[in-house]
Amino acid sequence: MRAKSSLIIALVLTLPSFVFAANAKVKIGFVNSITGPEAPIGESLTNGVTLAIEDLKKQGIDVDLIKEDDTGKPEKSMAAFEKLATSDHVGGVVGPYPSKCAAALAKLAEKYHVPIIIPVASKDDITRQGLQWTFRLSATTNDYATILLDMATAFGKPKTIAIINENTDFGTSGAKSAKEYAAKKHLTVVAEEAYAPGSPDYRSTLASIKGKNPDLVFMVSYVADAILLMRQSREIGLTPKAFLGAGAGFATEAFAKEQDISNNVFSSTQWTQDVKWPGTKEFAARYKAQFGKEASYHASTAYESMVIMGQTLAKAKDNPARAKDLLDKGSWNGIMGVVKFADYAGYTNQNNHQMLVEQIQNGQRVTVYPPAYVSGKKAVYPFPGWTK
Amino acid sequence: MSIFVQSLISGILIGGVYALIGIGLTIIFGVMRVINFAHGDLLMLGMYATYFLFTQFHIDPFVSIVITMPLMFLYGAFLQRFFINRVLDALPQNQILLTIGLGLIMSNTVMLAFTSDYKILSTRYSSSSVSLHGISISLPLLVSFAITTVITIALYWFLLKTDTGQAIRATAQDREAARLMGINVKRMSIIAFGLGSALAATAGALISPTYYIFPQVGSSFTLKAFVITVLGGMGSVIGATLGGILIGVAESIGGVYFGSGWKEVVVFVLFLLVLLFRPSGLLGKSRT
Repeated sequence: MRAKSSLIIALVLTLPSFVFAANAKVKIGFVNSITGPEAPIGESLTNGVTLAIEDLKKQGIDVDLIKEDDTGKPEKSMAAFEKLATSDHVGGVVGPYPSKCAAALAKLAEKYHVPIIIPVASKDDITRQGLQWTFRLSATTNDYATILLDMATAFGKPKTIAIINENTDFGTSGAKSAKEYAAKKHLTVVAEEAYAPGSPDYRSTLASIKGKNPDLVFMVSYVADAILLMRQSREIGLTPKAFLGAGAGFATEAFAKEQDISNNVFSSTQWTQDVKWPGTKEFAARYKAQFGKEASYHASTAYESMVIMGQTLAKAKDNPARAKDLLDKGSWNGIMGVVKFADYAGYTNQNNHQMLVEQIQNGQRVTVYPPAYVSGKKAVYPFPGWTK
Repeated sequence: MSIFVQSLISGILIGGVYALIGIGLTIIFGVMRVINFAHGDLLMLGMYATYFLFTQFHIDPFVSIVITMPLMFLYGAFLQRFFINRVLDALPQNQILLTIGLGLIMSNTVMLAFTSDYKILSTRYSSSSVSLHGISISLPLLVSFAITTVITIALYWFLLKTDTGQAIRATAQDREAARLMGINVKRMSIIAFGLGSALAATAGALISPTYYIFPQVGSSFTLKAFVITVLGGMGSVIGATLGGILIGVAESIGGVYFGSGWKEVVVFVLFLLVLLFRPSGLLGKSRT
């Protein structure tokens, strides 16, 4: 009798740990630009990941998240990844933000056999090297350019294009794709300018572009330079039929808020708040409530990447090799639409993500292309000129 | 032709602000033989002060210089008195480490206070311009050039005509001899560092309506200031003025005729050429 009751007591006492054990535990590394010039976008990624961890917990998955700051530099990213793989023994890694860092980590993932999901770094080559351990959720810079030129040629008959890009991995890759696709669309490239970011004065470059009178001006820049380039375009009086921004700086809230210069600018984007993918509206509302800012595509891709990595590792019992197989075969449908890491058109483990085009109309970001995703308001084309 | 004139003008205008940054660095170097690697961060503080005054008290960026300048003068004097002063006789690498460290503390403190978000100062006139025969000139840049000119002239007058100015120049020429002549060298050093910080902060205030502000903005300007100072001749105020405008014009013209990716190359080739033929800089005195 006594033995029986003590057994019951023992069972009762240990019961909570059984309940607790039902929660799967996974260990995930998160490499991100927490400080450094890319920090504002890094913050969006961090916020997206924070929401993902909360949701995973609700699904019974406890994430032991190890955050590493790469300050936007590839060498720091690499050191962080090596630490995560060899000393923290994480099951998988999510991040980093800049393309140059992501390109470096893709090779390390292969070396250490740890799967990595790259949420939003878009340089084409990253998933074009046949790497088996690298998975990318976002569309590539090639798609950034393609969707914009598709749209411009659908709206009107532009003949010439000027390309301005910052001379980084992301910028050059975007400009190269734009140039190639422009040739296919019978557009003549009248100017190509690769600039070093951080200069206070682009006026001379913009003035020489104005002299060539292009129909389209295509720009690839991060946050601050996007605003600067548009300010100085207005100053110089550069008025093409459309300003096309390849995501990044042009798809941010800070840019949209500068109404004098952002009005009617088009930007390609991975995600918008009014797109009809499951959970988008709720995500946007929750993000706003929690962080007091508008959610950007950087936040949504980071969120979805972390959710996928968490769920996969829970299924794989935190085993990197098994997780890799599950990522290879799996399919998800969430705020980024259907995600499937597929091999196609020279890509390996690349999600064939549908890009969108948004236009800034009086500070509001409106989805205007492709037609199936349009939310109501019509696109303004051609560019009506600067307001005085 | 109009593109050439356009880029020449915007080069000169932006060069005026560069000159202001360079003058601050060169005064500090001249008097103390310390290369101030926190110079860009002082400029950054000036930007944030301007931003703060503009958003909280609605003081126009150009007007706020009246507040920023004396404040930053005091801050610079404080830095000299309690930090820089201790390493004046130390090895150069220790001086460099100290100033770099101070700069890091400044940029990271600002990051804690204001976060790393890019701040954009949007004034009514941020992207307005005046048009002259098809050449557009940025209005805020024009105003800031005018202010730079006034400040530079005032500075020349101060250095050439006043007793304190002459004492600063004497200290810059020969610290020991100046001390023997009864000049309070310590005080001159404090004034020089204060002056240098005030000038850097003013430059920051002047470009903030047309540029963007973030805690790490300083580093690129530190490099620029260094190039300008070496180009003009370490310690020479006129040299720094000339160097600043030269760099501004070289960047602008280089951007048009060699492509924007090459403008840094144009600047540094120019820099190397000057050093090759005039190792002590355009207006520097040789050591011998």
